[in-house]
Amino acid sequence: MMALPALGLIGVIALGPVLWAMWESLYLHDLRMPWLGHRFIGLQNYVEAFSDPRFWGAIGHTVVFATVSVTLELVFGLALAIAVDSMRRGQGIVRTAMLLPWAVPTVVVGLVWRFIFESPAGLMNTVLAGSRVIASPPIWFADPLAAWTPIILADAWKTTPFVAILLLAGLQSIDRSLYEAARIDGAGAWRQFTDITLPLLMPALLVALVFRAVDALRVFDVIYVMTGGGPGTATEPIAMYAFSALLENLRFGYGSALSVMVFVITFLLALVAIRRLGRRALVEPVS
Amino acid sequence: MSVARECALGSLLCIGVAVALAGCARTDPHVLTFAGSAVGREGEAIRHQLDQFQSRHPEIRVEVQSTPDAADHRHQLYVQWLNARAADPDVVQLDVIWGPEFAAAGWILDLDRFKPVVDDFFPATLIASRWNGALYALPWFVDVGMLYWRTDVMTRAPADLDELRQLATRGMREHGIPFGFIWQGARYEGLVTVFLELLGAHGGAILDRNGRVVVDSDRAVDALTAMRDSIYIEKVVPAAVVTWQEEQVRLAFQNGQAVFMRNWPYAYGLLQDASQSRVAGRFSIAPMPAASGGVPTEALGGSVLAINANSGDADAAYRLIEYLLEPAQLLERARVVGEYPPRPSMYETKELEDALRIDPSQARRIIEHAVPRPATPIYSELSQILQIALHRALTRQQEPRAVLEQAAADMRALLERTELAPSR
Repeated sequence: MMALPALGLIGVIALGPVLWAMWESLYLHDLRMPWLGHRFIGLQNYVEAFSDPRFWGAIGHTVVFATVSVTLELVFGLALAIAVDSMRRGQGIVRTAMLLPWAVPTVVVGLVWRFIFESPAGLMNTVLAGSRVIASPPIWFADPLAAWTPIILADAWKTTPFVAILLLAGLQSIDRSLYEAARIDGAGAWRQFTDITLPLLMPALLVALVFRAVDALRVFDVIYVMTGGGPGTATEPIAMYAFSALLENLRFGYGSALSVMVFVITFLLALVAIRRLGRRALVEPVS
Repeated sequence: MSVARECALGSLLCIGVAVALAGCARTDPHVLTFAGSAVGREGEAIRHQLDQFQSRHPEIRVEVQSTPDAADHRHQLYVQWLNARAADPDVVQLDVIWGPEFAAAGWILDLDRFKPVVDDFFPATLIASRWNGALYALPWFVDVGMLYWRTDVMTRAPADLDELRQLATRGMREHGIPFGFIWQGARYEGLVTVFLELLGAHGGAILDRNGRVVVDSDRAVDALTAMRDSIYIEKVVPAAVVTWQEEQVRLAFQNGQAVFMRNWPYAYGLLQDASQSRVAGRFSIAPMPAASGGVPTEALGGSVLAINANSGDADAAYRLIEYLLEPAQLLERARVVGEYPPRPSMYETKELEDALRIDPSQARRIIEHAVPRPATPIYSELSQILQIALHRALTRQQEPRAVLEQAAADMRALLERTELAPSR
């Protein structure tokens, strides 16, 4: 009973739009073509999406981006967290300073990194050509594969601090006496890391993984600002394809179907991850 | 709640209601809003003209409603406002290709009720402003793609595309200029206008006279192949053009980094400004040349003025449009912004020659031969299909023939789906 107002609020704000999008996805609703009418077409929008190569390309781009980006963020976030954790003095200042990239708006991060990688006179190409590392550096945003480099770098640069803060909290909750006991037993640094740190850090790692994965699957702003989905549609994530269908072409029915699929994918992933998280949290890790 | 708190809350409510009512009372029934380009020189020109209009019609007040400068973003904003049936803005500046789309969606007013006089407008500009036989917008200014060439590298403009290639190579080799020929190649509408010109230069088209999609013809494949080869095989065009829009192209030419540039007329004034430009006095313009078997083709662009279908005061809005389209105002725009007026009669006057600093009869000839883009409500979606296809070919993700055949198939499917396919 007491929870009803809160549940009601969540229902209106979170559940309502999702249900509306699902409802819309069953209709033909092109705002710019009123002569086509607003008729019920069942699952035809989904059929159109599944037979659309641009849709599958977008799904592929999103999955690859999420995988590479989250892996980089977890690895570098962990390294950063371990480095900060081992600091004896000045931890407070470093922790705050570390969060600065995360505090910068994503659009600004994207624009600055685009500026760095722009050709032919961008900073990156000038440095690469000048130091003779690469004789003729690529035109980053003109190459379908090379264009991913600045995008992933910008995203990883911005969100690694977030992962690092999460993992730092996890690291600091590990009992120091375990390390002392391990050292007395003759375990080296690497052994301590794999047998004490990693297992005890697993809950925090999973939380970071779930947060970042769900966010990375919905990526839009950093790619919109850096490449606009180009060259061609080589860097277009599914969220941007849904945006294009919905707000550029005003195909509300088809765009809603795409949005519903983004929602379903991220929802399923979150469900699976939270189930595993729950199981791990209940079982006490024994060293 | 304590009594003091109730009093405070009550008085706050009263103040809020009073402010809201005051706001309502301030609304003047004759406030018009104008939405369009309002930055830089265009902003100066429009604000000055709106002030003059208000002094001529003291009972009407006009405000400028800012919109983003990038065409795609402005289009999206208009769509949001007009689809929500907002009463503001009253007068909208539309890109010439949006007329049929907005008219078919019922967002702009049919202007035939005002019986506008249309005999002094370029015919091509009126075609794009009509839908289902009715006139929905009036042309404000025209844009044509032009070839800018360096007068210190050659004595006259190239006669055809082969000569352009040779002169560009010579300029790069003998004068140390890094780029031969630059154009807008980013994945946006500008790329379609550039392609349209090179397509016509090779004798192709996007839609034929009957409205059928012919962008997969052999000539179209030749044109796209030539565009791609000029980047990667002949290396006359830098690969970076696929990320450039108008301003990046203009700046590269302005810094003396290119022998040829394809751009709109707005760049002329900016390039002549010796305080900013390194090529001031060392360039000229010419029509885009053709290849053998083609016709010199310039893409027709520009803007039109239309009235919001839900405007509160359509008559006042039409009076504003009439005012902005008077020759005196068009001349001022030509002088301040460098935009070409849509009235052919003005091209015989000395005032226009002084304002534009180019030969008006040559400009008129170019405009009369300019090729408009297809005037159909689904042009934005057709253009998107084409933009993606062209960009894929130009970044070597796919071969030109495959990409154009796919694009043509998608366009035909789109025309079928929206019931706009030409009758067989």
